[in-house]
Amino acid sequence: MTLTINRRAVLMSMAATLALGTVGLNRAKAATSMRFLWWGSKERNDRTFAAIKQYSDKQTDVAIAGESFGWDNYWTRLATQTAGGNSPDLIQMDYRYIFEYARRGTLLDFSPFMGKALDIADFGAANIDSGKVDGKLYGVNLGVNSSMMVFNTDAWKEAGIEAPKDDMTWEQFGAACSKLTATKKRRAFYGCQDASGLEPALENWLRQKGKALYTEDGKVAFEAADIAAWFEFWAGLREAKACVPPDVQALDQLTIETSMVGLGKAAASFAHSNQFIGFQAINKEKLDITSYPRVAADAKPGHYLKPSMLVSVSATSPNKDAAVAFVNFLVQNPDAAKTLGVERGVPASEKIRAAMAPTLDDNSRKIVDYIARLTPKVGALPPPPPNGAGENSFLLKKVAEEVAFGKSSAKEGAAKFVEQAAANIKRG
Amino acid sequence: MANHIEDSAGALSAGLRSRAQETTVYKAPTALARNAPGYLFLMPWFIGFFGLTLGPALVSLYLSFTDYNLLQPPTYAGMANYSRIAFGDDKFISSMQVTLFYVICSVPLKLTFALLVALLLNRGIRGLPVYRAIFYLPSLLGSSVAIAILWRQIFDGDGVINTLLWQFGIEGPSWISNPDYSLYTLVILAVWQFGSPMIIFLAGLRQIPTDMYEAASLDGASKVRMFFKITLPLLTPVIFFNGVVQTIDAFKAFTPAYVISSGTGGPIDSTLFYTLYLYQEAFGYFRMGYAAALAWILVIIIALFTAFSFLTSRYWVHYDD
Repeated sequence: MTLTINRRAVLMSMAATLALGTVGLNRAKAATSMRFLWWGSKERNDRTFAAIKQYSDKQTDVAIAGESFGWDNYWTRLATQTAGGNSPDLIQMDYRYIFEYARRGTLLDFSPFMGKALDIADFGAANIDSGKVDGKLYGVNLGVNSSMMVFNTDAWKEAGIEAPKDDMTWEQFGAACSKLTATKKRRAFYGCQDASGLEPALENWLRQKGKALYTEDGKVAFEAADIAAWFEFWAGLREAKACVPPDVQALDQLTIETSMVGLGKAAASFAHSNQFIGFQAINKEKLDITSYPRVAADAKPGHYLKPSMLVSVSATSPNKDAAVAFVNFLVQNPDAAKTLGVERGVPASEKIRAAMAPTLDDNSRKIVDYIARLTPKVGALPPPPPNGAGENSFLLKKVAEEVAFGKSSAKEGAAKFVEQAAANIKRG
Repeated sequence: MANHIEDSAGALSAGLRSRAQETTVYKAPTALARNAPGYLFLMPWFIGFFGLTLGPALVSLYLSFTDYNLLQPPTYAGMANYSRIAFGDDKFISSMQVTLFYVICSVPLKLTFALLVALLLNRGIRGLPVYRAIFYLPSLLGSSVAIAILWRQIFDGDGVINTLLWQFGIEGPSWISNPDYSLYTLVILAVWQFGSPMIIFLAGLRQIPTDMYEAASLDGASKVRMFFKITLPLLTPVIFFNGVVQTIDAFKAFTPAYVISSGTGGPIDSTLFYTLYLYQEAFGYFRMGYAAALAWILVIIIALFTAFSFLTSRYWVHYDD
């Protein structure tokens, strides 16, 4: 049998296509239509789309199209769209990138809207200032978070070992992990992930020793000796089988789904506190949060509170007022707050925190409680990382893998990392 | 009467004039006008070629001499990008090594495998189209994301391969996440996609006249001897074609490495293909100028390889005529 296409069929299908096209046009014309771009997991997509729907149910003349990508692809997408003059109206922004985008004039300054369309005075100065670049406000805080250790309570209970808790030392943590591995309750299951190549873990450890990743003027703030000590500590944990072997750790692509706790390879991983929702969403077993271990009982604070993400508006958006109104809805509307929850971090607004407190589920409460008990113990927000810092986080992963696979010693790896990290910063 | 004659003569001359006019109308079209419909039908291709191939290529050539981060206009940087590639880029060298290893391993293996399957299928078995389609299937799926993810599952620490090995008491490593083995899994993935060279080999085998084999078998030649003395020499043009095409493809391989390592080229840059490094520079760190320079270096390298193949081909490729 052959498919025959006659002229009438072609004409009819063309007419139908045109008709459908005009339907689409009419819908687009009826509303102020905006685009909102964000990165994140499926959990975040579901919540964000629900919040958008809440908004357009009330503001029937506003249509917001949401687009979501993974962290890697997100920045590619945003940069190409911005360069092509096709920037989304609403942009989920990160503390690492806001300086770059703001200083190149691609973001809207919120200052004129403050106290009018944008009512965020109850954020407190610190949470407003974290969205400022050169004194102007380019990002509105979508949630406060800090780094965390996430652990599988069931696995620790099953092994009969006390689960990790706040303020334990790294030595105690390592010993507990190697004990858990030794119980062999599960096949190829370890105490914790190998965090030697994880930049936030290194940063926390450096801060505890009174150092940092980068200085105020954007230079490398650590020495080869610091990095060597860090690599040697993890080499010890690998030797004691406290953490996963290198070929298992190499599966970790810095996503929740490929984390060692996510893959069921270890009983503890390191991540950001808002990600706890995502971790629990893909895990059948019960998880819990605690802070990073410390180098000593009297160590300086390694943790700090940071905007887990911000929302910005494009400087070229034709719908600036509508976009700012939506931003205000995201951070100040109790219904939106209920839908979004604490998946992007704990809301900065005191009013919203109080409003959502009674409605929080167990997992969200764990995050809120964690941030609350961490707050008195945190240090200052570090200066924004310089250009090239993003490359350095991948460099750390690569060099740590070289050390872990035995391709170079801790000392050689440390020297190489410090040298190349400085070169990357210089190159920008 | 005279009037009549004059009239008819006038009519005749008018007729002649109009016919002359007609002929000039037909002669008038220039070559362009005559070929206009042809060009019109070629327009989609022209637009595609100039708008999507040649134009961007020229822009990329220009960008390779600039610093360009997408957000700010490009600034002229002279030969800086090229001199960094030549003298100061360890990753350029390591990614080139990875790519060359991949090309040198995967292309001959893939061609050998494709030829073997083609020989098997060429023995006049029933249902040939079905087998041909089945063997071609991996090539259709090959560069897709789904297959790269499947590969992760197969060569993972507790993947299919290791479960099989475990039956024999062997505890295998996590093949894809071990820098000593990860590249081999990508080579196997490439070899598995032997479909398109196989189809071409099959067509080539059909072209070999059967009377040659008949003559050889009358002379008592063995099957192996016939393969090396008849099949292989007569197939050299096809082998050459497949070799060139597959080499170019292997240099450009991107998707499998990108998906299997989530774009990192890890562990320890062991799967950092040249194209993946180029992509990281462009879209990971927004060094468009540098990435454009890397792309042009790749063009030159592929051109050199292809030129080399063509130059040596006269010594081993056998054409009938």
